[in-house]
Amino acid sequence: MSDEIDLETPIDAEPPHVLSPELRDALDRLRGEIRTRFPERHRVPVETIDWMALIQQIQRRVSTLGMSERSGTVDEFGMDEIVLRRARPLLELLYEHYWRIELHGIDRIPDTGPCLFVANRSGLLPYDGLMVSHAIWRRRSKLRPRFMVADWLITLPFVQPFLARLGGVRACRENAERLIRSGESVLVFPEGQKGAAKVFRERYRLKRFGRGGVVRVALETRIPIIPIGIVGPEEAHPILFKWGAPARMVGLPFLPVTPTFPLLGPLGFLPLPTKWVIQIGEPISIDHLAPDAASDELLISRMNEELRSKIQVLIDTGLSDRSSVWD
Amino acid sequence: MNSPGVIAITGLGSFLGRTLVRRLLQRTPEIRIVGLDQRRPFRLDPLVRFHTIDLTEPTADSRVAEVLAEERAEVVVHTAFRSEPTADLEMDHELETIGSLHVMNACAATKVKRLVVTSSTMLYGPRPDNPNFLTEQHPLRGHPGSHSVSNRIQVESLLAQWRARNPDTEVTVLRNCWIFGPTYWDHVARYFSRPLVPKLIGYDPLMQFVHEDDSSHALESATLHPHPGVFNVVGQGVLPLSTILRIAGKRILPAPPAILYRMANYPSQGQSGDPPEGFYDYLRYLWVADGQRGWDAFGEPIYTTREAWMSFISTRRMRRYR
Repeated sequence: MSDEIDLETPIDAEPPHVLSPELRDALDRLRGEIRTRFPERHRVPVETIDWMALIQQIQRRVSTLGMSERSGTVDEFGMDEIVLRRARPLLELLYEHYWRIELHGIDRIPDTGPCLFVANRSGLLPYDGLMVSHAIWRRRSKLRPRFMVADWLITLPFVQPFLARLGGVRACRENAERLIRSGESVLVFPEGQKGAAKVFRERYRLKRFGRGGVVRVALETRIPIIPIGIVGPEEAHPILFKWGAPARMVGLPFLPVTPTFPLLGPLGFLPLPTKWVIQIGEPISIDHLAPDAASDELLISRMNEELRSKIQVLIDTGLSDRSSVWD
Repeated sequence: MNSPGVIAITGLGSFLGRTLVRRLLQRTPEIRIVGLDQRRPFRLDPLVRFHTIDLTEPTADSRVAEVLAEERAEVVVHTAFRSEPTADLEMDHELETIGSLHVMNACAATKVKRLVVTSSTMLYGPRPDNPNFLTEQHPLRGHPGSHSVSNRIQVESLLAQWRARNPDTEVTVLRNCWIFGPTYWDHVARYFSRPLVPKLIGYDPLMQFVHEDDSSHALESATLHPHPGVFNVVGQGVLPLSTILRIAGKRILPAPPAILYRMANYPSQGQSGDPPEGFYDYLRYLWVADGQRGWDAFGEPIYTTREAWMSFISTRRMRRYR
């Protein structure tokens, strides 16, 4: 068979050049003569702007604008990879240059399996959750703990969708257990609203750790608890006192009065550039405990208190190591 | 497949009742179906034995019991619910709550083998303190502004009491989330097919839809096979509301709650009989249900949330292709 298909040459390759040099010269001369005889046909047209096409193009751009900055799908708790990727330079800027965060003890995180990170909470907006989860992700690219956000932040317009796209999850036991069962690490702040509402003179004194829900989740899902002490964010939003009356009108638990907030208007939302230190403590293993330990209330409350004191120690060492709030 | 006996369907003209009949007859043409409704539906299949019964009448329970006994029905599928809220609040209560009570009483009197009731995940209620995935054990908190949801919650609590009194009957409750598909139409679909969609500014909850085929498949298998218990019938995956509207190429009218909740006379709102928050709170807070139990029982759904939505908008030609 002679009609074999030639697989070597691509189909749309240029045909071989067959013109002889004489023919090419003749053609060039002919083109030159046409140009001299009919000059008006070869005048360069004036560049006119097609306004309709331009408007249509702009409309098309605007209508697809919303989709280019988000993924078509989000994960089941609303985290969006594209939003996260776009926010990364901003998070990096805050991390490196604004708060100049130091991270100690990253090697204490186990290499495999999900963990329950427990940290102290401070400031109204959850910058600390964002930063800790970003800090761990920078060093361990596979691990990005989902940070838990207090209930009342969920009701805030604009804040909640943004936090959910960046990986925040409403703080409750069902969510924590579901995340851990699907293999994700979780970062919780068991002080809750009491921690966020600390005024400046109570700073770095840990509040009660709820009713031991954190320990219970760890015992039920059998994963290690890793205490984290964060030093710095308390001074980023120093709450001088709480102002109740105007806050109740907009549905907030209280309105924090900081040195900048009501005075400078929206500019007051900017946190101060304090120096942050994130210390990761030794994991508290629960492997030695019996499988039914989750129903032992006394054990839970003892472990809860132990966890609280460990985080307090981490904070205190961080506080004594630093020379000032700003560096 | 073991024969389930005679199947009685209340609310034959409703979407779920109608599609259930079609699916059952396609699968097994010799199956015996009894239909009950207020009026004879158009294009009723001649194989269906139809009885005209108005569930809002005071003696409807004995009429239903008569029909069930006469036809020797073994499975009762109760789908006689409104697909959209009506401004006639009293009538709505009569049909949904009292009508369901009539059907339950008739089932108790004739000792049917199985009772399947359709319900909605809207009954969990949109709350800021909901967990991200509501399981079937979660309390039904509903929404005080939505009367149809309140009626259905009453139905479910009556049904729970009824189930305790009649332990021999298998009771299946199917809680559907918002159904979307080529043919399904209700107030939610109408809201989403407006040219200009009002949306609460600053709120962007995760939404969850189920395709009409998956929903009627779940209803069909609950009718044919024993699946006692409560099941969420939902699609896999969630999407933020803003992404949903962007996929459909909708123009969004952003409005703060303070303004939108005062627009009680907005054309579509006047029909529902509810204050605007009865609907818009479902677009404000989270009420996504955990479908794992339903997927284990009825099989994984064919359509995800996104595919259900795509199927809806492509048949309605909402997307402006450019």
